Amino acid sequence: MSKSNRRNWFGGSNNGRTVTVIEPEIERTQRRKAKIAFFVTAIVTALLAGTVFSSYVHPILGGFLGLLAGVLLGGTVAVLIIIWPVLRIIWHWLPEILLGCFLVYGWTWLMGATPVWLSLLILAVIIGAPSAIGPARRAVLSAFWCLTVRHRLRMCFAAFIAHNRQRTLPFILFAKPTPAGERVWIWLRPGLSLSDLEQEGQTQKLAVACWANESRVTAASRKYAALIRIDIVRRETLTADVLSPLPDHVPDDMPATALASPATPPVGLNFADVPGPRTKRAPNTNTRARIPRNPEPSSEIDPSDYA
Amino acid sequence: MNAPFDAPPSVPVGTGMSIYDPILIGIDEYGLPVHLPLIYHNILIGGEPGAGKSMLLHNIVGYAAMCDDCDLVLIDGKQVDLGLWRGSAAEFVGPDLDHAIYTLERVQGVLDLRNSYLLDQRRQKIERGDGMRPLLLAIDELAYYAATVGTKIEQEYFSALNRDVAARGRAVAVIDVSATQRPSSDIIPTSLRFLFGWRFAGRCVDDSSSDVVLGHGWAGRGYSAAKIDPKNRGEGLLLAEDGIPTRVKGAFLTNANLLRVADYAAAKRREARDTPPNLRAVA
Repeated sequence: MSKSNRRNWFGGSNNGRTVTVIEPEIERTQRRKAKIAFFVTAIVTALLAGTVFSSYVHPILGGFLGLLAGVLLGGTVAVLIIIWPVLRIIWHWLPEILLGCFLVYGWTWLMGATPVWLSLLILAVIIGAPSAIGPARRAVLSAFWCLTVRHRLRMCFAAFIAHNRQRTLPFILFAKPTPAGERVWIWLRPGLSLSDLEQEGQTQKLAVACWANESRVTAASRKYAALIRIDIVRRETLTADVLSPLPDHVPDDMPATALASPATPPVGLNFADVPGPRTKRAPNTNTRARIPRNPEPSSEIDPSDYA
Repeated sequence: MNAPFDAPPSVPVGTGMSIYDPILIGIDEYGLPVHLPLIYHNILIGGEPGAGKSMLLHNIVGYAAMCDDCDLVLIDGKQVDLGLWRGSAAEFVGPDLDHAIYTLERVQGVLDLRNSYLLDQRRQKIERGDGMRPLLLAIDELAYYAATVGTKIEQEYFSALNRDVAARGRAVAVIDVSATQRPSSDIIPTSLRFLFGWRFAGRCVDDSSSDVVLGHGWAGRGYSAAKIDPKNRGEGLLLAEDGIPTRVKGAFLTNANLLRVADYAAAKRREARDTPPNLRAVA
């Protein structure tokens, strides 16, 4: 919503400047959907409810009651559809909203329940403990990255990844920390597919936008093609050596392995020690290359390599 | 003084390991162990020199050598890797294409015999406890036999035999493990590469090389072995049960441990071979 001289549900003017929450095109689409949904729901509900009510009350009264039920239900559906973009934004910011509420109300409660010095002491402990304790610090940082990645991915989707004809973006469900980074589940909207995220260089752009090392995109469900998973990798977790368990099966009383032929000196192993071939190698008559009648231009890529 | 024949007969006890069980080959990036059930599967291993192909082969062949129920056929153009396990192998082939072809023909004979047996028994596959020993065919430096030495016809015949083993061996418990640096179509025919359901890509030079090992399109999704740190040897992408490549750090065996396990496996196999049949039945 970009017009500052109109009052509306989604955007508002602020000293002549406009704050855009929902894009005008999306708003128009949502309004159209809401109207259609209202009438369809209202008519169907009114007919069904009117029929049912007519069995219990006078048919005219039943018809009015059915109409009333249809208007109420249709209105509810229409409102839900109209405010869906806002609900989606609320969902997107839900962790931050809950965290903000917790901080504000928690601090207010703490100040009311304890003396100021104790409140400040508790605050210092809450902030200082994660900094001092490794696992707590890592847990906080993981949560921070999970929250950050959701916003960065949304920015990527809006900027360069994919949107359908209604310009609706993939729906970011939730993110969870992994030892290597984060794993984010995405629900693709109609008009999108996994291949939209597999275009050349897209995963590298995602990694750059998420301040990560690399990102990987894959299907997350064998049942739903719309459910995909993005793995963000920002830490290298495979640097340490992993010892094979095979030696554990060898008993301790197994004698130590002796060197093979320790007395054999390494002589006669240099180039000068190898004589050249005395006989001329027989020609390989079976390697005659077939010359195509219509030779095709050479290409560095052989499609049959990618089986 | 007791006469030697008075000594109670000893019954050798095997390692208790079976090729029907999954093999631990390393850990994934979440710190979880990665187990690879090899029975009824073939695996193709690729990657640049020093990427960790040989160590993965050592893990697989070493486990199979320690198993009581598995025979080994090892073909290694470089000799020094799989040659460590020749004491446990039913047949070890060095840089000799004729010997390699002859050995694969023998394996092909095993396929024919087992398939005939299954036909007689009206069954489709061999299972644990059938009395037939699974056979692990490991080929290192596949390009040496399929594209380097011999004539074109010999190379193609070698690849055809390998393809037959990979195609018909699954049901009769013949496992094909082939390793080469870049399994492009000039080294391994496309029809053969399709038969390797499982792939391991060690570090590759570029995305296209990674896709040659794993299959087309994985690099586009971010699964490229070219992104692996060149200094981090043993790390690779494993495409196996999940159907999605998993980043894996292969388990490492020091040279001393390799020799120790190889010698022990060879000793246990000698022990089992030298055991009289009546005692073997008790064991």
